[in-house]
Amino acid sequence: MNIFKFFLSLTITIAMLLLMDPRSFYGLAFHEWAGLTIGIFFILHKILNWGWIKKVSVGFFRRCPGRARFNYVLDVLLLAGITLMILSGIAIARTIDFSWLNLGGSRIFWRVMHTSSSFITLALFGIHLGLHWNWVLQILHIKKTNGKKN
Amino acid sequence: MVKKISFLILSVIILVIGIIAFSKLSYWDRSVRIFNYSLGTPLEGRPGRGPGDREFEAGEGRPDQGIRERNIPDSLRQQFRPRGGDRLGSGHLYGEMRNGEGRRGSEFAQGKKINIRNVKWFLAVFAAFTVIVIYTDKAIFLMRKRKGRQTAIKEIM
Repeated sequence: MNIFKFFLSLTITIAMLLLMDPRSFYGLAFHEWAGLTIGIFFILHKILNWGWIKKVSVGFFRRCPGRARFNYVLDVLLLAGITLMILSGIAIARTIDFSWLNLGGSRIFWRVMHTSSSFITLALFGIHLGLHWNWVLQILHIKKTNGKKN
Repeated sequence: MVKKISFLILSVIILVIGIIAFSKLSYWDRSVRIFNYSLGTPLEGRPGRGPGDREFEAGEGRPDQGIRERNIPDSLRQQFRPRGGDRLGSGHLYGEMRNGEGRRGSEFAQGKKINIRNVKWFLAVFAAFTVIVIYTDKAIFLMRKRKGRQTAIKEIM
């Protein structure tokens, strides 16, 4: 399961980096479809970690380590960032027709939201990876689970 | 020890490239724009306009002229170049842009190949954030460990 989680996270990270520039990888159509797919992957990532989310949600204001609390707040911000990124992406989409959603607001408003939220979310992705670096090293068998390096 | 030093050097290199990429992409300006945006703000002359906001609909304003002088990647800079003076299309054309048809669809025609030139700068920023957090986390862990030891010594004494 951990290996699957690792590859899912790796896919999300690579896709996120490729999506930062709409021109980088097969143009706007890829950008829009991959943007929607990344949202599905993100939900899957949350489902796979649902046990942790449930545990911290219940004990957030009671007995909960500071690190877990920080991770939780970061995850909420990431969720908000991804939601805004996808929502604004839908509002300014060109190759996929989302006009039936009638999201309202000017195009420039959504564009500002899309750019800023994606930049903030990428930074949050980096922070999230940094906080889970030991887990990554464990998955790659660079670090033993007891914390001692090979 | 050699391993630790080589990792430290690698981290410093990642940080330096990350800082360069951060300024090259105007990362801060483009990130905080979300908080500066107000619906009543006129678009002309509004500071901090970046490559992400290159598209303008009719009646929504026009691109900031000063943007061409800014330090942005070349491929992003291309997006700002006026094309035959028809950058500002009329509102009814929007329907033609759907499904890659019409004028807007052709804007991304040149993106049919893989070009990760800009992606590497984003990767640099991303990696820099990761490195900063890894070392901050380690520093906090070591400080807590030292504090714990001091407390334990005090309790013994």
